[in-house]
Amino acid sequence: MKTVVCKQEELEPGNMIEAKLGPIPIVVCRTLDGEFYALANKCLHQGATLSKGMICGAAAPTDTPGEYDYIKEGEILRCPWHGIEYDIKNEGRMLADPQRKLKSFNVDIEEGNVVVSR
Amino acid sequence: MAKKKKPIIDVDIHERATYYDLVPYLDNPWAKYITDADWTQEKHLPYPIMGIDGLDRADAKSPDGRPAGNSLSFLQEQLLDGVGHEYGILTSAMDPSPSSMHGFYGMAEALAPALNDYEIENWLDKDDRLYGSVHIAAQNPQAAVREIERVGDHPKMVQILLPIDRTPWGDPYYHPIFEAAERHNLMIAMHHNEPPSYYGNYPRYFVEWHSVMPNTHMVQISSMIFNGVFEKYPNLKLMMLEAGFIYAPALMRKMDTQYKYLRHEVPWITEMPSETMKKHVKFSTQPVDELSKEEFEQFVELMGSDEMVCFSTDYPHWDYDSPHNALPKLDKDLEDKVFAENARSFYPKLQAVGGKVPL
Ligand code: FES
Repeated sequence: MKTVVCKQEELEPGNMIEAKLGPIPIVVCRTLDGEFYALANKCLHQGATLSKGMICGAAAPTDTPGEYDYIKEGEILRCPWHGIEYDIKNEGRMLADPQRKLKSFNVDIEEGNVVVSR
Repeated sequence: MAKKKKPIIDVDIHERATYYDLVPYLDNPWAKYITDADWTQEKHLPYPIMGIDGLDRADAKSPDGRPAGNSLSFLQEQLLDGVGHEYGILTSAMDPSPSSMHGFYGMAEALAPALNDYEIENWLDKDDRLYGSVHIAAQNPQAAVREIERVGDHPKMVQILLPIDRTPWGDPYYHPIFEAAERHNLMIAMHHNEPPSYYGNYPRYFVEWHSVMPNTHMVQISSMIFNGVFEKYPNLKLMMLEAGFIYAPALMRKMDTQYKYLRHEVPWITEMPSETMKKHVKFSTQPVDELSKEEFEQFVELMGSDEMVCFSTDYPHWDYDSPHNALPKLDKDLEDKVFAENARSFYPKLQAVGGKVPL
């Protein structure tokens, strides 16, 4: 199964776009380094549409209460409802519970098109 | 095969009036305070949540740009039709009463009736699935009673919304409000409020604030129970909104135990507090704690009644619970009770007029 989502330049770094791979709703995210990632567009918690959320960064785990190190800018997909954070570059894993991850799909650039397949 | 839809009565939906929406329902100077002096209520909550639209779901703004919960047609599309509600109980997003009025009580007494008129005209009279809450300025029980007398007989007003504030609700100061509730066949509901404890400070983090909501609710329930409110007003029932329900069994057991030791102090209490709670208090599910079916059933069993928990979404807020995904799949009997029948039996006016109010 394969789908052409958009032209490469139509999706700017730091943005995302929703699409369908056959019947499966997906979200294609472009991180700030220009890479593309395709994930299932449905939150593992209560099923909110993730593309209605935001791409942002996150505070790194720390040993020191009160200390913040804001990292992974443009690499975190945050759910529009209860705010669960998914790490786009780390297989769509939940920051709070890395055992759990979104389904991910292959992305290839073919003749300037962003093509998702599984 | 088409699945038969389960009936859903959602006991906590926040329709939103902007201050400007209320201007047509306000006299001067109150209207002018908004139009000419740009008055807004001071809100306390000090923390933002990132990625969320204020305290709203990031996808609940209406397409015409109005804030979440402000457009009836979008609320119908996204929630009532989208989910398939049988009924929804409106609880508003404005509270004219709590300490955020900071003594400006004349404004609170003007806002409450305006909010009620707005709610009736723009929501209750326009969708037969929606039922309403009477808003009051609780600082002044006389004014509150006048307002209950004024709108309490509207066929779709099913409860009075009581703000959680500095004085816990068992205090005799508030009892005229309960008398009025009984006169009009209205139930009462309390919604979580800012700050989390009735004596008023915030913890350092939102996550703390949001984790200890049940504290506030426990203070109110124990105040109502030990001050004998339900003995005095036997038809009164209380819906606790937005602290979930898993704290209830702990509170019930705690109060029963303490009552055995300290009965001398509250001799007007003649049955175990947990028994009174079973008859008079219900809890909304939201924000639901993540539970397996077995865990859900265990909590219900510890409460000793499967008639105390009522489903709510809290739409359009960020911690909205989806009727299809928030709870584990329950056995049919419990599912029917939680999603609809417990709420149906809680609101006498809903049973009496449910869906039959001519619009
Ligand atoms: S639905 Fe995504 S965090 Fe709850």
